[in-house]
Amino acid sequence: MLIENLGGNVMGTIPLGDIVLYLNPLHIFLFVTILVFTALIAISRTETQVESMFGSLDENKVSVGKKEFKQRRFLSVICGIATAGAMITGDLFNFTLFMALIGIVNIGIVSAVKQVDVLNSAYQYGLIAMMCGLPLFGGAAMILAATGTLSLFELASIPASPMMIFGALVMLIGVCGESGIAPFFASKAEMFRTPGSPFILIIHLSSLFIIVRFVEILLTIL
Amino acid sequence: MPKIAKLWNKLADPKNIPRLFALILGLLLIAGFLIPVGLNTDQIYTRPAPQSQMDAGLAIAPYDRGGEILESPGITEAQYPENSQNLGWINSYMTPIADMLKGISPYFGTSICASPGGVIDEILYYTRGFDTILESSILMMAFIIASWLAINFTMDRKEEKGKGDIEEDVKRAIASSDRIASEVEMSNRKAREKQAKKEFR
Repeated sequence: MLIENLGGNVMGTIPLGDIVLYLNPLHIFLFVTILVFTALIAISRTETQVESMFGSLDENKVSVGKKEFKQRRFLSVICGIATAGAMITGDLFNFTLFMALIGIVNIGIVSAVKQVDVLNSAYQYGLIAMMCGLPLFGGAAMILAATGTLSLFELASIPASPMMIFGALVMLIGVCGESGIAPFFASKAEMFRTPGSPFILIIHLSSLFIIVRFVEILLTIL
Repeated sequence: MPKIAKLWNKLADPKNIPRLFALILGLLLIAGFLIPVGLNTDQIYTRPAPQSQMDAGLAIAPYDRGGEILESPGITEAQYPENSQNLGWINSYMTPIADMLKGISPYFGTSICASPGGVIDEILYYTRGFDTILESSILMMAFIIASWLAINFTMDRKEEKGKGDIEEDVKRAIASSDRIASEVEMSNRKAREKQAKKEFR
């Protein structure tokens, strides 16, 4: 399948040596959307959760301290930029690197919260993210071994061999685990249960975008 | 039906997720043994056949990539040669010390001080340089997170005592649950007394 069929006509490339980022309408749309959202996050403040206490009229406010706020904002901006990069990358290995960066930054965003449950599930997610290194990079390496190239432009014109399909499947498992879609959703979904809404949302948004982009990559190379 | 419900409940527990993931990944990798291995020999990032440079008696075997220092480029392939115009120059470069070692003895080829700029450097820092930037930024993020946590949760812990501390929260939670338990017990006792009075009547 040709690249042109999926995302519209290629409008241009950004050559960085062997890594060529290519732009077509779909990628530009995703890229601009995530950048706009990142900009919104960079200028917003966090929410404060208000919990009503059991058996009394008091309420318990869970807010984010200033230091933690700064750290989280920094990490979520990095997460947004990494997601934006993954949207326009034209290289398989580059994509997996962006994915790994998003994974580690996601853990970082929730690493400073003070709820024990959230930290526990972040730990479990961290275990998955570590394991995902094997399928993500292994899958990319398998596709490199089967075809001799990593560029999506070249891969689009090479017919799929069994080993390529297997490599893509292995990568798919990696992306599923790292972005926490079913059936691996629980640990990532539990990570959200903490104040600091706009920063927490980018965890969710980045995995959504990554899934869309990865499906497009799969359809392109297979 | 109840079995499926139980399965869903197990899936909702974060503790089980890494195990499930590892299981699925393991099964897939085992299934991978059945896939026929179709290696493409026409790779972009090629290497000479094992031992071929040793047998040819090259001084910096097995890392000799051809070319002369600052005169002609070595052999490097790139996916898009038009994007890397100085291809091969890093590959053929050697420091003066490395050049001297190369002249003295044929046995320093594998040592780091005698190896040329090298095919690895050329790919890492030139043709695929953007990957190296990303890799090191992943490391940097990991260090930022770890050092931030170390500074704010181990060194400054005493200052913030009693204010949103995890231990305090846990203590408070235990105390409130104790209180609720005792309230429940009290109301139970009252209800039982009432019941006893009713029966007595």
